[in-house]
Amino acid sequence: MWLTAVYYDGRQARPHPVTLCVEGDKLLLQGRDIVRREELNGLKIPPPLGSTPRLILFADGGRCEVADRQGFAEMLQDAGNSAVAGMENSWWYALAALLLTLSLLAVVYLFGLPYAARVVADRVPVYLLERMDNQFFASLDQTLLMPSKLAEERRHTLQDGLRRLVLPPGEDRPAHIEFRGSPTLGANAFALPGGSVLVLDDLVNLASNDQEILAVLAHEMGHVHEKHALRQMLQASVVGLAMAWYIGDVSSLLAVAPTVLLETRYSRDFERRADAFAAELLRGNGIPVSRLADILEKLEAAHQTAAPKQLAESVEALDYLSSHPNTEERIKRLRGL
Amino acid sequence: MTEYQARQLQFSGSGGEYFRIWIVNVCLSIVTLGVYSAWAKVKRNQYFYRHTTLAGASFDYHGDPKAILKGRVVAFLLFACYTLVGKFDQVAGSAILLVIIVAMPWLLMRSLRFRLHNTSYRGLRFAFHGSTGAAYFNFLLLPVLSALTLGLLWPLAQQRMARYTRENSTYGSEFFKFFAGSGAYYRIYFMTIFIGVLVFAGLMASVMLLGSKELIPVEADQLVAMSVLVASIGTYLALFLLAYPYVAARLQNLIWNNTQLGPHGFQAQLRAREMLGIMFGNVLLTLLTLGLYKPFADIRLARYRIEHVTLLTRGSIDDFVAGLQTNSSAAGDEMAEMFDFDIAL
Repeated sequence: MWLTAVYYDGRQARPHPVTLCVEGDKLLLQGRDIVRREELNGLKIPPPLGSTPRLILFADGGRCEVADRQGFAEMLQDAGNSAVAGMENSWWYALAALLLTLSLLAVVYLFGLPYAARVVADRVPVYLLERMDNQFFASLDQTLLMPSKLAEERRHTLQDGLRRLVLPPGEDRPAHIEFRGSPTLGANAFALPGGSVLVLDDLVNLASNDQEILAVLAHEMGHVHEKHALRQMLQASVVGLAMAWYIGDVSSLLAVAPTVLLETRYSRDFERRADAFAAELLRGNGIPVSRLADILEKLEAAHQTAAPKQLAESVEALDYLSSHPNTEERIKRLRGL
Repeated sequence: MTEYQARQLQFSGSGGEYFRIWIVNVCLSIVTLGVYSAWAKVKRNQYFYRHTTLAGASFDYHGDPKAILKGRVVAFLLFACYTLVGKFDQVAGSAILLVIIVAMPWLLMRSLRFRLHNTSYRGLRFAFHGSTGAAYFNFLLLPVLSALTLGLLWPLAQQRMARYTRENSTYGSEFFKFFAGSGAYYRIYFMTIFIGVLVFAGLMASVMLLGSKELIPVEADQLVAMSVLVASIGTYLALFLLAYPYVAARLQNLIWNNTQLGPHGFQAQLRAREMLGIMFGNVLLTLLTLGLYKPFADIRLARYRIEHVTLLTRGSIDDFVAGLQTNSSAAGDEMAEMFDFDIAL
């Protein structure tokens, strides 16, 4: 059996039309001004790749290109064939690979990533985290955050209230509170990666009594206790990195958008756990758990009236919507406790 | 001049075929925790190169997956280091970034070497011979200078980079030659700015017109402010969407049309409008299909870019002979890719 091919000698770009045939364990190559007889074992035959031409690579840089893939496969009986090449040609394997890929990604995203983030978060030294908090304030003070307008006394009362709380076992110190004002962020409180809790003036003013504020602080301490901010940040970094790498040639802007959407799921889970932590803490101190539900209702109402205006003003308003989903569901659960 | 014979580059890859290869390789890469991705990259390049034919012969890629894997590991560690450390400590993060920036010209040079050395056509290898010093001048000093001059020197820097990459590249033993001057680069950017000004003026005039006829509800004294606002947003969007494909298409044309290899010339005829359509469609469909359209998008863009380049042969192209072989590592190639640093080749 003969096969037509084009041979290049590796020293010049000139194509040599040749014919190939197999004689025992040797390949015979014949052209008008060239004859080569080579051991099949000494040749490199790359596996087939889609409908690209089949190749025979000689040790001295010579190279044969064969367009007739069928004839090549018949003559050189799966020389160079590999399991992967077979899979790449089949739609069934493609479908299986697709399903396997999607399920693996889902498993990594749902379990692997949160687990890895927790492991890493537990090993990050505290001084690094505190430095992060300082950086947070350094970059946002005077822009998004203003000095608190609350009276010194009021702040002390709240801090004392927090200090007097009986903490659950395993928790050695109450959260460190920072008071700030922020017209853009409105009534809100945030747990930062380093364990500080940022309380905004509007939240304090919105609450009908100090127990409600303590309830919010207890909730934020739940976030601090489980290092939610840090874990969320680690997860978001990995997802963002993967997205940026995958989309690559598109633009980094597009890579960020889906990340935000993906990250809401974590927050919901974290909120639930922080609520549970707060409920336990409040109960241990004789404060009704419904206080947290009360203030959540007020916050929800306050943000719903403020949201349309804020949306246009700043992106930060979106942050509330994404990181506090299903507030109604949370309120219902807290009332049931 | 009449003795030039046009030979168009052909691309025979197909989306469906590439999709199967792609998904199997993505799957294997995930199962092997990323190790297989180096082999997948070689496959990907081989698929695109072998489907690219010129005058009856295809290109080929010879990169060694193990070398690429090493580069990937280094690049991944560096990048992970930078993103994570940057969150905790801005000073340390900036220090790592600085190291990366300083290493970048060297990496780019190595990357060019690796890529060209592992590319062959008709059994002869391409190669890159650029020096490290020139890489630092072209890839670091010039961009820094153009940043300091608020971009005024950027077209010049781009011309120097293209010249550096072209004139140090060889096919066999023959060097590429590059003729484009910086004037041509400035013209492309002036044209972009000019279009921006036209869009701005057009939008502003139409808002003023509509407003003065009270077709849109605007107070008379706010009309000018309103029209400036609308025109600014419109121009920004137009340039954001249009400028990149426009500049990309024009630059590729300019570079190819001013490149020669021995007695042979090149001609590229990419159209900004068509590039825009392809890029926009690709991004949209890739997002809508949650990334599954990506292999089809890659094929579509590759086909457009490859098939719009023509080799203008003058005499035979059989006479090229092999040059001296050099070895090169993949570290540069992978890192340059990881940091999304690309130079139009």
